[in-house]
Amino acid sequence: MMQIGLNHYLVLSTILFSIGLIGVMRRKNLLMLFFATEILLNSVNISFAAISHYYGDLTGQMFAFFVIAIAASEVAVGLGLLIVWHKKHNNIDLDFMSTMRG
Amino acid sequence: MELFLYTALFSPLVGSLFAALFGASPKTKIAGIIPSALLGLSFISSSILLVSILSGNGAVHVEMMTWMSAGNLYIPFGFVVDQVSVTMMMVVTLVSTVVHVYAIGYMDHDKGFNRFFSYLSAFVFSMMILVMSDNFAGLFIGWEGVGLCSWLLIGFWYHKESATWAANEAFIMNRIADLGMLIGIFLVYWNTGTLQYEQAFAAMPSLENDVLTWMGVFLFIGAMGKSAQFPLHTWLADAMEGPTPVSALIHAATMVTAGVYLVVRAHPLYHLIPNIGIFIASLGAFVALFAASMALVNRDMKRVIAYSTLSQLGYMFVAAGLGAYWVALFHLMAHAFFKALLFLGAGNVMHAMHDELDPFKMGGLNKAMKGTFIMMTIASVALAGIYPLAGFFSKDLILEVAFVENHYIIYTVLLFTAGLTAFYSFRLVALIFHGEERYKLFGIHPHEAYKFMLIAMSPLLFLAVIAGSFKMTYFEMVTQVLPASEYHVHSSLTFWIMTIGTQLFVAAAILFAYKKYTRRDIKVPDGTSKMENSFAYKLLINQYYIPFAYQEYVVKPYREVSSLFWTHVDQKIVDATVDGIAHTFYKIGEETRDMQSGNLSIMLKWMVAGTVALLSLAVVFGLSVKYATEIKLFLSGLGV
Amino acid sequence: MVEHILSILIFFPALAAVLGFVVHKDSVRSYGVAVATIEFMLSMWLWLVFDPTLSGMQFVEQIALVPTFGINYIVGVDGISLFIVILAAFFTMLGIASLGETKNIKNMIITLLFLQMTMVGVFLALDAIVFYVFWELSLVPMLYLIGAWGGPLRIYASVKFFLYTFTGSLVMLVGMLFMAYLYHRTTGNWSFSILEWYRLQLPFEYQIWLFLAFFVGFAIKVPMFPFHTWLPYAHGQAPTIGSVILAAILLKMGTYAFIRFSLPLFPDASVYFMYPIAVLAIIMIIYTAMVAYAQKDIKQVVAYSSVSHMGVIVLGTFALNVEGITGSIFLMIAHGVVSGALFLLVGVIYDRRHTKLMSEFGGLASVMPRYATIFGIMMMASVGLPLTINFVGEFMSLLGFYKQSHILTLLAGVAIIVGAIYMLTAYKKMFFGVVTKDENRNLPDVNKTELLALIPLAIVTVWLGVYPKVLLEPISTSVKPLVEFMHEKAITAEAKARISTMAVKVDNTKIPTGEAH
Repeated sequence: MMQIGLNHYLVLSTILFSIGLIGVMRRKNLLMLFFATEILLNSVNISFAAISHYYGDLTGQMFAFFVIAIAASEVAVGLGLLIVWHKKHNNIDLDFMSTMRG
Repeated sequence: MELFLYTALFSPLVGSLFAALFGASPKTKIAGIIPSALLGLSFISSSILLVSILSGNGAVHVEMMTWMSAGNLYIPFGFVVDQVSVTMMMVVTLVSTVVHVYAIGYMDHDKGFNRFFSYLSAFVFSMMILVMSDNFAGLFIGWEGVGLCSWLLIGFWYHKESATWAANEAFIMNRIADLGMLIGIFLVYWNTGTLQYEQAFAAMPSLENDVLTWMGVFLFIGAMGKSAQFPLHTWLADAMEGPTPVSALIHAATMVTAGVYLVVRAHPLYHLIPNIGIFIASLGAFVALFAASMALVNRDMKRVIAYSTLSQLGYMFVAAGLGAYWVALFHLMAHAFFKALLFLGAGNVMHAMHDELDPFKMGGLNKAMKGTFIMMTIASVALAGIYPLAGFFSKDLILEVAFVENHYIIYTVLLFTAGLTAFYSFRLVALIFHGEERYKLFGIHPHEAYKFMLIAMSPLLFLAVIAGSFKMTYFEMVTQVLPASEYHVHSSLTFWIMTIGTQLFVAAAILFAYKKYTRRDIKVPDGTSKMENSFAYKLLINQYYIPFAYQEYVVKPYREVSSLFWTHVDQKIVDATVDGIAHTFYKIGEETRDMQSGNLSIMLKWMVAGTVALLSLAVVFGLSVKYATEIKLFLSGLGV
Repeated sequence: MVEHILSILIFFPALAAVLGFVVHKDSVRSYGVAVATIEFMLSMWLWLVFDPTLSGMQFVEQIALVPTFGINYIVGVDGISLFIVILAAFFTMLGIASLGETKNIKNMIITLLFLQMTMVGVFLALDAIVFYVFWELSLVPMLYLIGAWGGPLRIYASVKFFLYTFTGSLVMLVGMLFMAYLYHRTTGNWSFSILEWYRLQLPFEYQIWLFLAFFVGFAIKVPMFPFHTWLPYAHGQAPTIGSVILAAILLKMGTYAFIRFSLPLFPDASVYFMYPIAVLAIIMIIYTAMVAYAQKDIKQVVAYSSVSHMGVIVLGTFALNVEGITGSIFLMIAHGVVSGALFLLVGVIYDRRHTKLMSEFGGLASVMPRYATIFGIMMMASVGLPLTINFVGEFMSLLGFYKQSHILTLLAGVAIIVGAIYMLTAYKKMFFGVVTKDENRNLPDVNKTELLALIPLAIVTVWLGVYPKVLLEPISTSVKPLVEFMHEKAITAEAKARISTMAVKVDNTKIPTGEAH
């Protein structure tokens, strides 16, 4: 039986991070973008928790909680803005949001 | 004695400032009279100083105040009246007093009357500083001061293009020489540690010959500019654009002799470097001949006299260069008298002829202008060096010096030039005062100058006649500071042959000039005669094409290179580089602004790309640090 | 009060500028004149209480700003900075007093007063950070002066001026930070105090790099060739008052900084770079003089002549002996007076004809005789005639450098020739000849307001030309220990030999006479 070690968690985290990164780059829907961001954050959380366990130091897990809390508030604000935008423009496609064009 | 020294020095300044007060107001006689009176005062003070020195009192030396001091540099305003400077003071104050009084009449109808006296007195003040200073820096003040006044006075009629051009030419030419002088002063300072004449000259014998040579050369370059020696001579003839009293005072009697004065003053230096002395003498002889040749054909009365001045300055440099400093100074003095007289006479003629300068358009003026005629003739005789007038004593002495010192080439050149001098002087006299009254063709009615102008000229006339008799007194006085070498031709037979021979030669030249130019068929040259088309004539009338060459090969290229520097180098290279760099940044901004498309998706992609780039950089650096030794080994294996 | 006089000198104009916002528009001119006059009086008082026999810093004030990094507000004055401060106060006073009809005059006067604070601050600061702050702050009012009151190309000119000098100063700032770091590494303490930096003995390689970093900042400010091209634009576009202050004071910051920073901090590097800098200075002198000759606009002639004269100042500074450095400091004052006056004079004719092209004039001597006379005096001073202020500085600068190199001094001396060429030509074009343009026939001569500024300048020009001792004495008192200090501090043998205060030994017949042979 193979022991599940730190490396496995880190590989999982990397895979998740890559999925999140590709999602951030490829998705055109704002809602999907939020999902991708959540995946990114959670991939980091996994490595925090894993490394924290590995070193027997709780700081990493504490930090993961912080991340979760901030991610939650971020999503709350983001979703609020998203709904307002959807009400105003009736779509949430990223390609239409280019008022900051330089 | 200090009181007299300060009076002599500062009364011209007071006069100048007084006249300057009226600078903007219309002509007031008083603006001419007061400066003249103050100059008279200056003359009297100088005379008192002269008497004091003649009676055996030592030199008067005062230090008025500090001018510059920093580090080891210490330059005071110091003045010294010794045998040499008192001679110069006498010449300067006497001639300038005469010229001032004369100018009251001459400038009578000019609306710049007040201004003129202000400038003229300022000139005298500068000249006094020049000759009285006890150090090189003070000399330089006077040197530049007379340059400034000369600029102001040559360009006095500033509405005339030719006058302002000549003024600028004179100033710039002198500046070129002044640079040499300045370098000479620096050399003196860094090698002797002082600029005071006394200490500097005392230190010179212990210096290396090389250093002394360079000192002598650079100081002499300064002298060449002021005294208009070749190749910086062109400004003197052009300076005749100024009013005639200016030509008499500045460009004949005083300022142009400053170079000679410098060499005489620096005699302890030139004594140590006889090679430079020979060079000075040779250049002097060359200029004497060169200038005299140009005077032969010139058709501008004032320019002829100017060339004659140049030629006489050459004589003085011969004497100074050969170590006969007192002879140079003596000729300087005598020359100042008769040349100023000649110029003032020419001024009378110009007035009478309504500023006509071509002697071919005059003729027969001796009836209308008797006084002027006599004065100019006597001045010309003195210039030619006929016994017993002043020129005989001073000029023949220079010939003797050259002969005794065994410089036979110089002697021959000078002798020949003496003949030329006599010829062109009397060519002028003959054309102006004798022969047909050609001026009638031009509808001019000549009249004699004011009587007081003639009276003002009379001291000069007197001195031009008798100055020679002071020779021995003068010799005894001035040789207390200058080397007392008497020049006697060894056998009295040679002496008499030389003297009489010279006199006969000169007299023959005079007669030839009279014969040639008092003829009835003299006409205003119109460029058709055979002589006027000869090569020699063309060469001489165009002043050996030197002004032309300067214009063509110096002035024009300078102007062209200047505008090239501006339009091409400054704007197209230097500034364009700066703008180019700025432009690059603008361009980069312009090109990369598309990255800011405002599209979140694209921005996120850039963000990811940036993160990846930074991470990979970190990895590469980390690895290269980790494997530094291996990489080095590998690279050295490759022979890097 | 006297112990705080320097801070008062710096901050009084700034305070007055702030208060100026509430002054009514009609009375702001007299307010400005009053403030500037008080400031000038204060600077004269500083001169009065200044002890010319002391060589060190006087009236030093020190207030800790950021103690952790050793940043302090330190100000002090010595013979080197004293007269430039007075000059700054003098010119601000004259400038405000002679202001003609100007739009937004309130803003202009406030700007000028603010500018005065920065100028005085730069010359009095003894802490590198404080120095840097004032140095950069001085750009802002100048940018505003050119940008708001300038000619048609004012935006380009002001932006160019700002960015160019700012870029240079940033490099200088890096140098300052590195210098502080080195100080920290050597002594364990942070310090930005210039006087403490002086005591730091730097290895030769560090000196070279630091010298270059400072050089970039200073050289652009001076401006040295080839960094000079911002100057003609700035002068060409700036209003008269802007040009006057720029030429008279702001440019001096660069040359002053050479003496305050480069020489005592890096004596070996100064010697190492002496010849290259001298060559640059000579190019500056001759090349810009020729460019000045080619100009058609009288203001550009004066602008380029400024660059040419700054070359002599730089040369005198790098003579590295008492005569040369004293001369160059004196020439800073002299050039300030003369070029400031020339710009004022150009302003006079510009106000009347709204053109600066020389071809538009001619024969002005008969129309405006007083103007022609004052212009003539200033021109002769600019040409460096003895008994005018410029000559003393030029003479001593060149005399000083002659000891270092004969042939280079000879080349630099060409300044007196080329200077005469462009100045006399310009004068001839403007004043001589007959009046050809009808517009010029009835031009009014200089009026009382203009005379108010010009007469004092003419007096100073002659007074300090005849009696420069009043300035030379305090200056050389401060310069002498500086040179001695550099001599002591120098580590290379060449630098020790080049920087010497030894008197000339007359009996020494083996003095090298160098390249002149």
